[in-house]
Amino acid sequence: MDRTFADTVFRNGRIYTSNRQQPWATCAAVKAGRFVAVGSEADVASLVGEDTATVDLGGRMAMPGIIDIHNHIMMGGQADLYELRFSSSDSIPRIADAVHKAAAQAAPGAWIVGGQFGNNLLTSLNTTEACALLDAASLGHPVVLRDDSYHNRWASSAALRLAGVSADTPNPTDGEIGRDLKTGTLTGLMIEAASGLVERALAASGHYTAEMDRTAVARSISVLNSYGVTAFIDAASMQPIMAALKGLDDRGELTAWAVCAMPVVEPGFMFGKAGEALFAMREQFRGAHVKPDYVKMFLDGVPGAKTAAFHEPYVADPVRGCCFRGTTMMTVPDLIRWLGRCEKLGLAAKIHCAGDASVTQALDAIDVVRSFNGPTHLIHHIAHASYIAPDDIARFAELNVAADLSPIIWYPTVFLEAHKAAMGDERAQRFWPNKDLKQAGALMAGGSDWPVIPIPDPWQGIEGMVTRQNPTGDFPGKSLWAEQALDLTTVLDIYTIDGARAAGLSQITGSIEVGKSADLIVLDQMIFDIPVDQLADTRVETTFFEGRKVFERR
Amino acid sequence: MAADHIPVTVLTGFLGSGKTTVLNHLLRQPELNGVVAIINEFGEVALDHLLVETSEDRLALLDNGCICCSVREDLIETLRDLASRRVAGTIPPFHRVLLETTGLADPVPVLHTLMTASDVVDRYRIDGVVAMVDVVNGARTLAAHPEAVRQVAVADRLLLTKTDLVSDADRAALEQRLVSINPVAVRTLVRNGDVDPCRVLDAGLFDPSAKSADVLRWFETASQAANETHDHGHHECEGVTCAHHSHHAHDAGVSSYSLIIDEPIRHDAFMRWLDYVAALKGEDLLRFKAIVQIAERPDAPVVVHGVQHVFHRPIALDGWPSADRRSRLVFIVRGIPREIIENTLCKFAAVSRNAVHRSAA
Repeated sequence: MDRTFADTVFRNGRIYTSNRQQPWATCAAVKAGRFVAVGSEADVASLVGEDTATVDLGGRMAMPGIIDIHNHIMMGGQADLYELRFSSSDSIPRIADAVHKAAAQAAPGAWIVGGQFGNNLLTSLNTTEACALLDAASLGHPVVLRDDSYHNRWASSAALRLAGVSADTPNPTDGEIGRDLKTGTLTGLMIEAASGLVERALAASGHYTAEMDRTAVARSISVLNSYGVTAFIDAASMQPIMAALKGLDDRGELTAWAVCAMPVVEPGFMFGKAGEALFAMREQFRGAHVKPDYVKMFLDGVPGAKTAAFHEPYVADPVRGCCFRGTTMMTVPDLIRWLGRCEKLGLAAKIHCAGDASVTQALDAIDVVRSFNGPTHLIHHIAHASYIAPDDIARFAELNVAADLSPIIWYPTVFLEAHKAAMGDERAQRFWPNKDLKQAGALMAGGSDWPVIPIPDPWQGIEGMVTRQNPTGDFPGKSLWAEQALDLTTVLDIYTIDGARAAGLSQITGSIEVGKSADLIVLDQMIFDIPVDQLADTRVETTFFEGRKVFERR
Repeated sequence: MAADHIPVTVLTGFLGSGKTTVLNHLLRQPELNGVVAIINEFGEVALDHLLVETSEDRLALLDNGCICCSVREDLIETLRDLASRRVAGTIPPFHRVLLETTGLADPVPVLHTLMTASDVVDRYRIDGVVAMVDVVNGARTLAAHPEAVRQVAVADRLLLTKTDLVSDADRAALEQRLVSINPVAVRTLVRNGDVDPCRVLDAGLFDPSAKSADVLRWFETASQAANETHDHGHHECEGVTCAHHSHHAHDAGVSSYSLIIDEPIRHDAFMRWLDYVAALKGEDLLRFKAIVQIAERPDAPVVVHGVQHVFHRPIALDGWPSADRRSRLVFIVRGIPREIIENTLCKFAAVSRNAVHRSAA
């Protein structure tokens, strides 16, 4: 075989490359998993040998594999395979029904793990009545249900018992154990760090095995591939997740670039080694496609639970009073120390900042670090860059900070409804200033935050960024801050080349260019030729990762 | 800080640099009555009127996990024990501690211990760091052992030993090296361990009862020395480039510089800047000393000193000796460009750009 011939050529396509120098091509040739030619028939003809496979795109649109800048790769698969699923718009009685059905079939003593209930239910769940409903439905099983933010839990009394939580258990730091406002009895609602009490008991029960971990991750990645995703950042990589990724990579079964963000402290929803102890292990998890090069920090919680930190106070309530703004979980000096340490180790930071005060604090800390350390190739992320004080918009570009746009809720959703209740309508709707960020030159990347949103479908995100309307048909006729809509080309950049830049993968993937990984997806429609409200209907027909077909729609 | 804190003089220096000889000599001087010597190894010190405590090398990590801030638990125990025995009257009263470190020791953990350990800072204060350099082997030792460079860099005083064994030219060459690492330390030539106690004790800079005029005089000299070294390369020598093009490169990029700031500095802003320096540049900040005019208390000069990321709590002196109340900052660093210090002072310590001056005018 002549070494100069390609392994595969793609022909007769409308290939959008995300490469500004050459935005469109009809053909591309691949050798050893890399593009070796991109252009027209003439560019690939000489590379076609006897053994070269030809993929006739039949005039269809193809584009680079999509980057998911923020997901939780194991939880998605776990949720898919091992958990009770219900909709975040389900009422409390409906959730109880679903639990009852699962409980009737569960093995004696087995945990029932499920999700995700809507954030807007938090107040009504925090009652003796709701607690009684869940306990009756659970038939004595320990039950833990996660909310759509993944920061909070609703647990049955059996689960609380196993977690050692009783009426006189004090609230953990940065968390709250739900108690009925009238009677003071436990309700099973566990806010933020309190979730850990129940999750720890679940982890200790051996409910999930290492094999289940690997299966769950593999399942998640096949789901991502089916939507055209070929690279992602796992946004809270604990040891079992990295072990599962590395295990799959060693077997040649990892079908996406996996970037890992290791938590600096144990997050409220995952347990085990974090920080230095975890960083010290990172090289053992590094693989051809596994890149443990990021850390994860949490500065606050979520607006719906009033755990995000804002410059202005939340709507007054009986518990928090009139002037509660939320608090950050790290001080600026702590954040600076961690950032300094991470930069020394060559790690970039993904910082969870749901409220605008957290965004300010993270930018302040990064500003200090930049002032002392000078420029770096590391790109830190503000995760969930959604509520941003106007003065902070320009700082993203100034400080070379990426805006991690996730989860996919930049249009009217139940999240927004919860935010309105917490912050008032007007403030709640100043959500996702994507256009402002773009105009200020910020590096932006799109993420799902799966399973915070139940399906990691980037096409919903792509349509929503263009329309600012809910692509599923929920909240019809309503827009979220329509002025912040972006054009499709910009949004595709956000999901491909800019995402790759933010993930530290821009030399490897993110565009269809000679030398880059042959990560290419074939679409069922030419997305530049359709009405924008049909973008979310786009189906990925085939996904190629390193030139290898890893998904085909049947 | 109360004036009755017991001063601790740290004697450091590589094996063979003559520490034991100097210690033996010093302990025989009448000025050294009532001194406790703590040595790390059993040397040949044997004096009946003195206590000799030995101390094993045991390091403990502080909870921030940084290896450069390991504290010496053994030292804490020894000092705590000495203090309680002194109170109990089971040992004679002593008014000073001479602490000899092992030749290989990085002196920084010892200094951090003296600056941060709670039982220690309540009763003791650092008097000064004296490093011994043997002129016969000094150049080789500095080239081979980063610990030796660090010993020199953190020193307040340098004792050059075995000076009778080398030529003046060789000695001058070594001195040049030492100046490039630490231009602000006072150098003394020693023969046969014969050193005047005043060359070792009462470095005084950190003594709350020190005369502000003396402290200021130290800063004047140090500032000049730091800047002279900095200009040594006969070119406009700036920051990182400087380390690459000058003789500093021989000492792992160790260099020094000083700044004068001719406006009062706000207390909280200055402390915030110190926090940031400690967090981000601590590892490379070998030694930092400053006398600062604080905006809120312009009449009382404040002395601050730091070793890597640990800063001693600021010491307020009684008053400025003259109308010159400019702040002076002296840095011995490894590869921290001067611009970074200047820029961050302006940005985070709220110092105006035109108040920052480089030369000791």
